[in-house]
Amino acid sequence: MSLEINVHEQSCRGCELCIDICPTKVFELDEDKRLCVVKHAEDCIACLSCAYICPSNAISHTDYHAVKNFYRDAEFCQRMGKFL
Amino acid sequence: METTNQRRALQDAMVFLGAIASGTEQAIGESANNISYLAGVNLGKKLSDGVARTDDIQQALDSTREVLEKNDYLWLFEPFKTHDQESVVQESEEGTQVMLVFRDCMIRQSLFRFGHIQKGSLCNMMYGFFAGALQNIMGRESSLEIVHAGENACYKKLTVRRAP
Ligand code: SF4
Ligand code: SF4
Repeated sequence: MSLEINVHEQSCRGCELCIDICPTKVFELDEDKRLCVVKHAEDCIACLSCAYICPSNAISHTDYHAVKNFYRDAEFCQRMGKFL
Repeated sequence: METTNQRRALQDAMVFLGAIASGTEQAIGESANNISYLAGVNLGKKLSDGVARTDDIQQALDSTREVLEKNDYLWLFEPFKTHDQESVVQESEEGTQVMLVFRDCMIRQSLFRFGHIQKGSLCNMMYGFFAGALQNIMGRESSLEIVHAGENACYKKLTVRRAP
């Protein structure tokens, strides 16, 4: 499995939010184009925080391990209602 | 079928624990972190009881991972190094350091289910777990700092202090 990150150039507005949030410094700002570019894809841990925070939905990842989120069990949630 | 039932039981237990942790944090604030830290230490010590002792951090991490797998804990991690690091294991003033990536994590998954925030007392339990397990396996103090709590993975810095 080899992870790939793609930044959709036309969508990126150069806000740098992805640069700020990335814990392993995968992105860099292209000063001329005022766009973010992927500099070190090999450092990506696939936390997906950049994709979640990007206001333009410009970032996508392929070939990464997606965690299996817990499902919502209606019956159990009813019992849990008093605690939540 | 067995796996589905086990996963279901784990989910129910974790969601319950998530709710309790969130309530405890509201009720007693910071002390909730200490309580879950100590619970983690006890769990780490208990589960790693009998594991062969080693001074090698990578071997200690392998053993810790094995302990988690053997007990069906959805808490798996892997050592990680960025392109500019020469080796996974780094020596610093504080001690020996290894960056760890946590992917499937029963704590994160239960927190998200009900919208609780990350880096709270339940995450502290993981810190405690490592401290307890590494105390048994390496006979050394350690800390597990959350560098980044992400939606699909977390990035943490494990520091094992030098022997006194
Ligand atoms: S967060 Fe999105 S819009 Fe902002 S710089 Fe990164 S890719 Fe561009
Ligand atoms: S998924 Fe996480 S590690 Fe990878 S580029 Fe985005 S923020 Fe950085």
